[in-house]
Amino acid sequence: MSALWQVLPVALRAMVPITLAALGEVFGEWAGVVNIGLEGIMTVSAFTAALASWATRNPWVGVLAGLLTGALVGLLHGFIAVRLRGNQIISGVGINLLGMGAVGFGTWALWGAKSPMLERHLWIPEVPGLGLSPFVLLTPALALLTWWLLFRTALGLRVRGVGENPMAADVVGVPVEKLRLLAVVYGGGLGGLAGAFLSLDWLHTVSATLPAGRGFIALANVVFSKLNPFLALLGGFLFGYFDALGIQLASVAGLSGGVPYQFIRMIPYAATLLVVTLAIGRARFPKALGQPYRRE
Amino acid sequence: MRAILESLLTLALGILVGAAIISLWGRNPWESYAALLQGALGNARALASTVSRSLPLVLTALTFAMGARAGLFNIGAQGQMLLGAVVALSVGLLSLPAGLQLVAALGLAGLAGALWAVPVALLKLLRGVSEVISTIMLNWVAHWLALYLVVQKLSDRVVGNRTFAVPLGMRFPSVYGELTWSLAVSLATALLLFWFLWHHGLGYEVRAVGLNPKAARAAGIRVGRALSLALLLGGVSAAWAGAIQVLGRFPYAITSDLANLGTLGFDGIAVALIGRNHPLGILGGAFFFGVLATGAARMGLKGIPLELIQIVQGVIVVAMAAPEAFRLLRGRTTKAKEGVAT
Amino acid sequence: MQSEALLSAQGITKIYADGTVALTAVDFAVRPGEVHGLLGENGAGKTTLTKILSGLLQPTAGKILWRGKPARFSSPREALRAGIGMVHQHFALVGPFTGLENIALGAEGNGLLLPMRAETIRQKLMELAEASGLRAPLDVPVEELPVGVQQRLEILKMLFRNVDLLILDEPTAVLTPQEVAELFPILRNLVRQGKSVIFITHKLREILSVTDRVTVLRRGRVVGVRETPGTSVEELAQLMVGEALGGGVRRAPRPPGPVLLRVRDLRVPGPQGRSAVEGVSFEVRSGEIFAIAGVQGNGQSELVEALVGLRPWAGEVEVLGQSLRGKSPAQIAALGLVHIPEDRQNLGLILDFHVVENSVLGGLKPFLDFLGGVRWPRATRFAQELLQRFAVQARGVRAPARSLSGGNQQKLVVGRELSKSPRILLANQPTRGLDIAATRYIRDLLVRLRDEGMAILLVSADLDEIFELADRVAVMYRGTFSGVHPVEELDREKVGLLMGGVALKEAIG
Repeated sequence: MSALWQVLPVALRAMVPITLAALGEVFGEWAGVVNIGLEGIMTVSAFTAALASWATRNPWVGVLAGLLTGALVGLLHGFIAVRLRGNQIISGVGINLLGMGAVGFGTWALWGAKSPMLERHLWIPEVPGLGLSPFVLLTPALALLTWWLLFRTALGLRVRGVGENPMAADVVGVPVEKLRLLAVVYGGGLGGLAGAFLSLDWLHTVSATLPAGRGFIALANVVFSKLNPFLALLGGFLFGYFDALGIQLASVAGLSGGVPYQFIRMIPYAATLLVVTLAIGRARFPKALGQPYRRE
Repeated sequence: MRAILESLLTLALGILVGAAIISLWGRNPWESYAALLQGALGNARALASTVSRSLPLVLTALTFAMGARAGLFNIGAQGQMLLGAVVALSVGLLSLPAGLQLVAALGLAGLAGALWAVPVALLKLLRGVSEVISTIMLNWVAHWLALYLVVQKLSDRVVGNRTFAVPLGMRFPSVYGELTWSLAVSLATALLLFWFLWHHGLGYEVRAVGLNPKAARAAGIRVGRALSLALLLGGVSAAWAGAIQVLGRFPYAITSDLANLGTLGFDGIAVALIGRNHPLGILGGAFFFGVLATGAARMGLKGIPLELIQIVQGVIVVAMAAPEAFRLLRGRTTKAKEGVAT
Repeated sequence: MQSEALLSAQGITKIYADGTVALTAVDFAVRPGEVHGLLGENGAGKTTLTKILSGLLQPTAGKILWRGKPARFSSPREALRAGIGMVHQHFALVGPFTGLENIALGAEGNGLLLPMRAETIRQKLMELAEASGLRAPLDVPVEELPVGVQQRLEILKMLFRNVDLLILDEPTAVLTPQEVAELFPILRNLVRQGKSVIFITHKLREILSVTDRVTVLRRGRVVGVRETPGTSVEELAQLMVGEALGGGVRRAPRPPGPVLLRVRDLRVPGPQGRSAVEGVSFEVRSGEIFAIAGVQGNGQSELVEALVGLRPWAGEVEVLGQSLRGKSPAQIAALGLVHIPEDRQNLGLILDFHVVENSVLGGLKPFLDFLGGVRWPRATRFAQELLQRFAVQARGVRAPARSLSGGNQQKLVVGRELSKSPRILLANQPTRGLDIAATRYIRDLLVRLRDEGMAILLVSADLDEIFELADRVAVMYRGTFSGVHPVEELDREKVGLLMGGVALKEAIG
């Protein structure tokens, strides 16, 4: 039983990437764009964040690098989805594959076959006095920011308008494509932050499978949240808890009660499936979600 | 047709990006590609190896393609493939007459793949759960389940890093070099699914649902049945990919890190997209990736890692997301939404 | 009396990317302070022209003069800035947003990172509503409002942006006759304030009621410009169609036969948990056309969906004595009830299938062999026969349905359904969006079928169609029938009242 309590600090950390990536995607989906390439974004951003941090000996530069990487990949996806009016799901799948391949190639090139461990001075320092990572505090703040942007500003009104009925927005002069691109870049940037967190603040390593499906768990979180940023925060904690449970039970000897290691590792994924299945009520998603807008 | 041209252009783009990366890495891309082609097609043995590597890709691509035809994004081939491999191998534990073992292995593996697709269908139909999420979660569960079985239950007593070897009577007979009669499984499945989609009533329903579920429903087609069928058939196909990888290729076992099963499931997605979700196109796409895979081994000798292939793959998939881009490049505007001008 | 033209379009040509020629050398001018009608049948090019004028589309050739100066509107924003605003046929409203949010969108009056200036906007809207007579609730999600109110919000949206030229695309399609009567004075009021209105319609009566001048389009060309007081229904009809409009097959009164479709106390749930159909009862007999008239949104769609098995329902429905309870669409079709859907492109056809594949949609069983395989040669012959019997123009039997014109698509759907040898035909808005020739064909066909003994349930928002075809008429209002009458007892005014919910006994008294 006490194991379930011991998990809490880890759960708070696990909450971060799942929530950040989900918040970004929530913003994007309000604008009508689906990005399932979150996993790939997290993978690549984790890599560039670690690299930048190592190169400049400053973890905060690494965070910035991760953020920018995510934003750039988001821009790529946005370009394909919005400007080229391509298939948004396939683009996302491609980004995931690209991310895996690029980071696989990159880690092999830089560090050979072994996964590198980042030295301590490259990690994000904890907040003094609280023993918490600054990201854990940043995450709820970003949830608040996302909510405020979407529901308390003219920008958010336009973003939501563009996602529900782009033609209506176009008729009154709202730039549909620009807003959608902005939304996807925002989403990618948050995903990049999530990736930077993974490598610099939590797992302290880089690999092609670093997110281990967390990008998709974030997608499940988006569904759970019904596009509400605060529910995404709650969901992030819920999913993060199961993620942490899996890690904790697997790594601390004697806690698993004889259950084989591999089954413990399944917990986050099975739990995600369960949560998504039991989520009550279908959310009302923007009517134009996933559909490119053409004027004719 | 325009579709073939677009696929070829996407392949070319992928190759170019690969060449760019190789150059940046300090090697000569054309030498590298020459080595790749030499390694893949240079002689009869190499060709056999290439074809052999493309066979499971045909099957996992068919998984994605069947889903796509029904309007779904089924990315569950990876998990189904792993389970199919494990189940097929496990049949080796049963003592059955020689020919029967192989048949039983394929049968049970196919069943396992279909069963792994059942939750996806149920969740989609009963709870509206996106198949993108459910298949990925199931992939990971299957990954850990397979690891457990491989490491804890099926491992070889003597050789530490893999499962026991497939009994000789259960292996596909050889054709030439690396190529075995698992060839028949891939070809037969591709042809069968082709016939099914375009010449069977249920296949017609699957295509109708994929193109316009509302109209299909109004016409009396049972949408749930069509979606389930597409998912289940896809599951069988993916499982057979795993089965033939184990029963039809060296080392006729599964390594403890699942490495010889690799990412066949995900690779199938790119193949399906290149092949425009058409069984015949998939045969071509699979061959292309077979060339890449076989040649990569040769290229690896020159210092280019396998991950480059994954990058090429990613570029191809991303490019396939926006085939209209090519139309733009050729100066024509995108097709206007059809409709009577009023 | 000549006035300087407010807007002048010269030589406008529009050719779409796939080669469709929508407009050819169209000259069009609107004077300040006039209601200018733009008349033409479906497919003549009216919407295309106005989309070009409002910046949504670009012309292939031609120029536009606004207040005498050359202008090019490459986006709706530019047209709006110049003072041109368009209210589209399918409203450009964001469903979940309130009226206020919809109007504020794009003109929030504040920095992007700040909330909209709700009070200021509300104030201005109150003033506009007073001055124009357009009253509408501002704080209700727009998708919950009746269509007539939505339209008022759309117009307010444009007035809020100080448009000088207001374009209305088929504004009366969604209104009851009474609501139409309320709209026209509002338009004249706007004109008195110095604005101009382009009024698009295919209904001759409306042109004569509210416009000052009218431009008639046919097949993408201007065939005439008239001062409204000086023209007539006959002249306009002649211009619109290019030939004298003959009447259709005369509907001869017939004693109807046995009851084929019986509906008792039908209740159908609608969106957001409310009830769309609340206890409707009627019968349709062999050899009669029973029409359900009414403005869209009063439950007709849900009623039709329930009858064909696409929506759950409560009550009693019997076809040829057999209950429809629990039956799937396929089973209902097997019983003899077929359906021409309202939305032929999304519900009646699969646009990416070719003609043969579409012709067996819903009727595949006769073409299957014992293994379940499809006998395509047989299906192809069937499709060819269909094309011939119903005069469907298509590039070939393997042409994608997408490539057929609206009228031909509809004929394909009708032919397909009729080949199932039905006893009851449910036709939902069967001629909407079709050109005159196709409309004529379908209506004549319906009368012929009725004469041959089919029971036809016709759902239509087009009063002309109702009066031409129906034997008995029920008017649907808010989920119930506000009256069922033989067509001889009705005229447009009475139907209008019924559409507005007033039972006839009350009205006459």
